[in-house]
Order: sequence, then C-alpha cells, then structure tokens
Amino acid sequence: MADLKINLAGIQSPNPFWLASAPPTNSGYQVQRAFEAGWGGAVWKTLGDPILNVSSRFAAVSFNGQRVAGFNNIELITDRPLDVNLKEIYETKKRFPDHAIIASLMVEPKQEKWHEIVKRVEDVGVDGLELNFGCPHGMAERGMGAASGQVPDLVERQTYWVKEAATTPVIVKLTPNITDITATAEAAVRGGADAISLINTINSLAGVDIDTWNTVPHVGGKGAHGGYCGPAVKPIALHMVGECARNPHITVPISGIGGISNWQNTVEFMLMGATGVQVCTAAMHHGFSIVEDMIEGLSNYLDDRGINSVMELVGKSVEKYSDWGELDLNYKVVARINQDTCIHCNKCHIACEDTSHQCIDLLKDEKGASYVKVREEDCVGCNLCSIVCPVDDAIDMIELPSGLPPMTWNERQAAVNLSAIQPNVIGK
Amino acid sequence: MSDYAQYVDERKQINSFLAQGFTIQRVIENLDGAYVEFTKGEDDGSAYEKHILHITNPDARKYFSVKLIESQAQYKSLQK
Repeated sequence: MADLKINLAGIQSPNPFWLASAPPTNSGYQVQRAFEAGWGGAVWKTLGDPILNVSSRFAAVSFNGQRVAGFNNIELITDRPLDVNLKEIYETKKRFPDHAIIASLMVEPKQEKWHEIVKRVEDVGVDGLELNFGCPHGMAERGMGAASGQVPDLVERQTYWVKEAATTPVIVKLTPNITDITATAEAAVRGGADAISLINTINSLAGVDIDTWNTVPHVGGKGAHGGYCGPAVKPIALHMVGECARNPHITVPISGIGGISNWQNTVEFMLMGATGVQVCTAAMHHGFSIVEDMIEGLSNYLDDRGINSVMELVGKSVEKYSDWGELDLNYKVVARINQDTCIHCNKCHIACEDTSHQCIDLLKDEKGASYVKVREEDCVGCNLCSIVCPVDDAIDMIELPSGLPPMTWNERQAAVNLSAIQPNVIGK
Repeated sequence: MSDYAQYVDERKQINSFLAQGFTIQRVIENLDGAYVEFTKGEDDGSAYEKHILHITNPDARKYFSVKLIESQAQYKSLQK
C-alpha cells in the first residue's frame, strides 16, 4: 500500500487531507471527530480578537439539480476567547500527536499583535501557523484578512513579523480577490513564509430572492458580500495553484484549497504543485466521513500506478502548464461521432451550428433515418460538441496529423518580426 | 466558400510562389489579415520580381508562418 504521509514545510501529516480553517474546525470536539474519521490534519478556525457574528450566514448555489455547486458564507473568524481555543488545541494535540494541527491566525497589521498571538498559540503545541490574509468579508472592513492580503507590502511585512516570533512553519493563506495572486505569493516568500496556501474564498453574492427582493442570505432584510467556495471555484483555485507552482520566485510548498471534494480533485491539485490539500465545503455538505473514500481512492490510484508515496505526485503536471504563446498552433484534434452510441439528440449539431463553427451536418441515410456527421476538414477541434453531448463516448476528439511541424505563437511572431526588421536577409 | 476550401486555395497560392523560386521576404499583418511579400531574382542576375499575397484564412496564416520559419532556419544554416 502506498505511503500517504506528507511533509509540508516540515509539518508531518498521516495523509494529505486536511480540513481547512472554517466552521468544521471551530472546536476541539469537531477536530477530534474529524481525526477519528481519518483526516490527516486540521487548520483551526481562525484565531484572533473574538468577533460577533450575525445570524443567517450561509447560502448555496444549486445548479441543475446539483446541490451546493457553490457555497457562500458571511461567517467571521472564531467568536470564542483565545484561551478556550488554546485549551482545546492542547487537548486535541495530546490525543492525536501524529495529526497535524495548524492554527489559523488573524490580527491587526501590527507587529506586537502578531508577536503576542504567535507566542500564545505556539505554547500549546501547534504544528504550524497559517496567516489568514484571505477572508474577504467583515474582517476585511477592519483592515484584516483580504484587505491585508491584497497589498503585497503588507503581506511581506506581516509575514516577516510572524517569522520574527515563530518557531513552527508559517503558511501564508492567500486571497484570490486580486488580479495576480503570484504578486502576493512572492511577497509572502520575501517575508520568509515557509509555505503558502490558496485559495481563500472569492467575493460573492449568492443570489437575490426574486419574490422578496432580498439578498441571499439576508440579515433582517440586508445583505453583504460573502466568500464563495465549493466545487464551482475549483478551476479558479487550480489555476492559481498552478501559476504559483510554476513561478520560479515562489520556492515554497503549496497547500491547495478550493472546491476539493474527492480524491480525484486531490490528485489534480497535487499534480499541479500542491503538497497537500485542505477541504471545507465537501465536508460541510456530506460530513467528515467523506475522507474514508478519499483515502481509499487515493491509495488505490497510487497502487494501480505503482507509485510508492503520494509525495511523488507533487508538481508532476506543472511543466505541462504553460502560457498560451507556448502552445503548438499546428496540433490538431477533430470531433468524431460514434454512430453506435449516438442517441440522435442533435445537441452537437445545434451547438456547433449556433455557437461554434458549423461543421456538424444533419444528414439522412438511405432509409431516411437522420444522423449527424462531422466535416473533419472544417472542424477546429473546439470540443464543444463532446462537452454538450449527454452520452459518454458518443463523441471522441481524435488527434489528426496536421502535416506541419510544431509551431508556437511565440516562435511565429519571432519569425514575422524578424522578417519586418531584416526583410532582405531571408530571401538571399 | 468553406474555411477549408479557402485554406486550400490560399495554401495553393503560397506553394505556387515557393515552387517558382520565390521566398517570403516580409510579412505585414493588420486588421485585414496578412500581406506576404514574395520576392526572387537580383542576386543571381535574374530580374527582380515581387508579389504580395493577401492571406486571410487562419490556417493559411499558420502555413506561411511555417514556411517563413523554415526559410529563416535555412538561411541561418547557410550562414554557419
């Protein structure tokens, strides 16, 4: 059986599945239940000056019958006194010494504030610290969370202050509510971060009730923006993890967060550079026991491929993630419809005809039965027909030789620019 | 005309010039597509000739780009 243990910047964990700092890690009772279920680590719900919460805090977006495709919350950090949390962290760590407990922290951007909380938290034996520079709502209005995390200088300075006092690894949690997350990731590295985690939640409004005209959720008729997470944000998170992983200035491990719901998502994040993952929405939707399937699925996946350790996955797809300008313009795929499995719904024809490149013909055979066929010479390989097709394997995207050598946009532009600068050298 | 038919047509014109000994001398691209300047002659004593092809099809623009890169590579190898 493959080894599932991970080591993220010195933080050891029996498996790569951590609960993210959020409602599931609000108390010792919950974290201990999670560890009993099999979770390898937990990032304790953010500690700081105790706050006051509102009632009516969560909302979800369902899509075509899938409940909780996206999840929105306006809950803030812990509302319990620090000493209560610290006592429970101590007890939990004592009971589960081999599991990772990371304390999420958020205080005002003042050196003495960071020093104080770091010392108090480390005294109870946490394995690491996670600086919450990402929470987009409530705390940001007070200059903390995402408000700090959107300013690279503040990220760097606060990370530095924490590192002045910390003896355990420091993870900086980044906000996606910024144009380029690598700017703040680099700032965290400059500040001395031992690792980064991403993404925190995305600014969101889950909806507006078209009957009452209230926001969803609303607090007595008023709403405020929240943080969006869950399966819907996974592609955004995966991209940001990949951007950080392939950035040569970001040299620290990554803890992946954002819509991870199963072992397959975990493999994706690890291949794209994450050393482990943090999960929240899936656990809130289905309970802590989902980790059983995650452990079993990941273990089987590794065994099937003869991979001895899950750490061997880390970053294996990063070199495949590049810039558009480095893609081969002469690579060609075309759609091919399997007539044996096609159910003749014509969705591919409609999609292609209305919104793509008009290369799927609606034809009739000799018996008058209709069928669809791709004119491969006109197909640009956009994939849309295979995306909208309701039947697995009814449409395959087939690689075709273009007859031309690989050529990227960057190579092409270099050649065209050279011809403009030195037109006469080419023809001579 | 389908995009593919247009590609075949423009590729044929490109190939025709190349087969006659023309080389791609310069490419000017703008909102209307690419203007590809083909020249031959002068150095070998023959009369200088210049033709400009207006290429609009995207696959044809890829095609002449490949030919341009090939000719530049050939020129570089001759310089060595």
